[in-house]
Amino acid sequence: MASIIAGFLDRHYFLIRRLHSLTGVFPIGVYLFPHLATNSSIVWGKLLNESKLPAGQLESLGIAAHAGVETFQHEVNFIHSLPGLVLIEIGLLWLPIAYHGLLGIYFAGTGRSNVDRYRYQDNWRYTLQRITGYIGVLFIFIHITSLRFGWTYWGLMPAFDPQAAASSTAQHFQQSTLGTTFIAAFYLVCVLALVYHFANGLWTAAITWGLTVSVHAQRRWGYVCGAVGLMLAGATVVSVIGFSRLDIDAARQIEQVMRNGPAGAARHVEPGGSDVLSASPDGRDP
Amino acid sequence: MVAPTTEALQTRSVRFRIKRQDRPGLPWRWESFDVPVEPGANVISCLQWIAANPRTIDGRDSNPVAYDAGCLEEVCGACTMLINGQVRQSCSCLIDQYAPKDGDVMRLEPMSKFPVVRDLMVDRQRLFHALTRTKAWVPIDGTYHLGPGPQDTPQSQQVRYKLSECMSCGCCLEACPQYKLEEHESRWDKAFIGAHAISQARLFNEHGTGNVLASDRLETMIGPGGISDCGNAQNCVKVCPKDIPLTESIAAIGRAVTIHSIRKFFTGK
Repeated sequence: MASIIAGFLDRHYFLIRRLHSLTGVFPIGVYLFPHLATNSSIVWGKLLNESKLPAGQLESLGIAAHAGVETFQHEVNFIHSLPGLVLIEIGLLWLPIAYHGLLGIYFAGTGRSNVDRYRYQDNWRYTLQRITGYIGVLFIFIHITSLRFGWTYWGLMPAFDPQAAASSTAQHFQQSTLGTTFIAAFYLVCVLALVYHFANGLWTAAITWGLTVSVHAQRRWGYVCGAVGLMLAGATVVSVIGFSRLDIDAARQIEQVMRNGPAGAARHVEPGGSDVLSASPDGRDP
Repeated sequence: MVAPTTEALQTRSVRFRIKRQDRPGLPWRWESFDVPVEPGANVISCLQWIAANPRTIDGRDSNPVAYDAGCLEEVCGACTMLINGQVRQSCSCLIDQYAPKDGDVMRLEPMSKFPVVRDLMVDRQRLFHALTRTKAWVPIDGTYHLGPGPQDTPQSQQVRYKLSECMSCGCCLEACPQYKLEEHESRWDKAFIGAHAISQARLFNEHGTGNVLASDRLETMIGPGGISDCGNAQNCVKVCPKDIPLTESIAAIGRAVTIHSIRKFFTGK
């Protein structure tokens, strides 16, 4: 059996390696853009958008409008309205991530970093690419299992409820048994590691596929990848700060008003993750 | 090179700390020798002095340190070793630059990616085996006269001239985090082929006559141990004593195998 697998790997070695390179850029890397854009909408939505809810209704509840909560909920609703979402998740996310991650661990094991002897910037870049890869695999597993499948890791990470997107994400950050700072730092380190992994991977993929041949072309493409990385890193920082500081109760009430429609044109929605909402005494439906 | 003039420089003594191993399979050890250094001395001349006076710093009689050397002008690559932990040719390594003061220490080790034969001497056979894997030659042997070769442009000649300066020294392999020691010849065909061979594939694929073997070379490059094993650490280009644009060669072969494999997918060959 082992020899059959080895033979298969030998015959299709190039295809396997190139698919590994491709999946890192598309769909995994490309997915970072909408994902981080959606997450950071908790901040840019507040700054750029106007609240669409009737002001009187929020005033009667004693809360201020927060267009970021509305925007984020709107984005999450859009994603959950996509037809065949599970197929998209499996085909464009979980399988490519599993392929890229598991093979990446194997390929990273074929090298041995020597930054102790050769302290070149590029050599650090190479070494960091492997370290951030390991971090990324671990993080994505925790991230998907906690926010998608509701594993709370013994209260460390409260689950996500797409019906109450912003407030449950804020709970995920703020109601951990280890505190907001820990979760915020965990997300910052892990997501910034992944952003680095993508930006550097985008740079090396251009060499692998032969797009940037000359040193000058590689340097120019490096500026592009650096800018992409800084942009995504900015969205990461903004998202983490936004959810770490969000007023959970106010966000939940805004989401309830959104669910029930303006002026009580009642469309009662059963909360998807009712355990999340009932976890707090203020979370009951009116 | 400015001739050193100070008294201290002329009479100074430099300590050589050398990693020694009597033969393959035996444990290695450090031995130190104090060598009186003349201005302009290089590592090889110091090893020659040690061969004439093989006495360690504890006054113990030892034997001459084995090393490989050929041209003594940095074009053959035979004397490549680790000097203060970094790979380079020892013949072009001037003591005045590395150990300018009396009592300075220089550390000599054999390359770590090739099997040690004795002391500083390694067996670089795998490096040359990689050149046969790559078919790094122009096939002109045959039963009939092939006539004159194709015309070439000066621009293309200039690109190839730089690549042709490779002396197969092994610096790029020693510094590569993806290139690891493989003692047994049976594993050489699947282990990483290395930057030098990828660059030679480019050299001969861009040669007007050499390119009749282009697809053979690219097939080697897409196989196990081929170009996919490159991790883009780019140490190779930084340690290359001939400043060969190895990373450009890797990208150029990367482009060639991209096109080759797409063509193969649609035409079947």
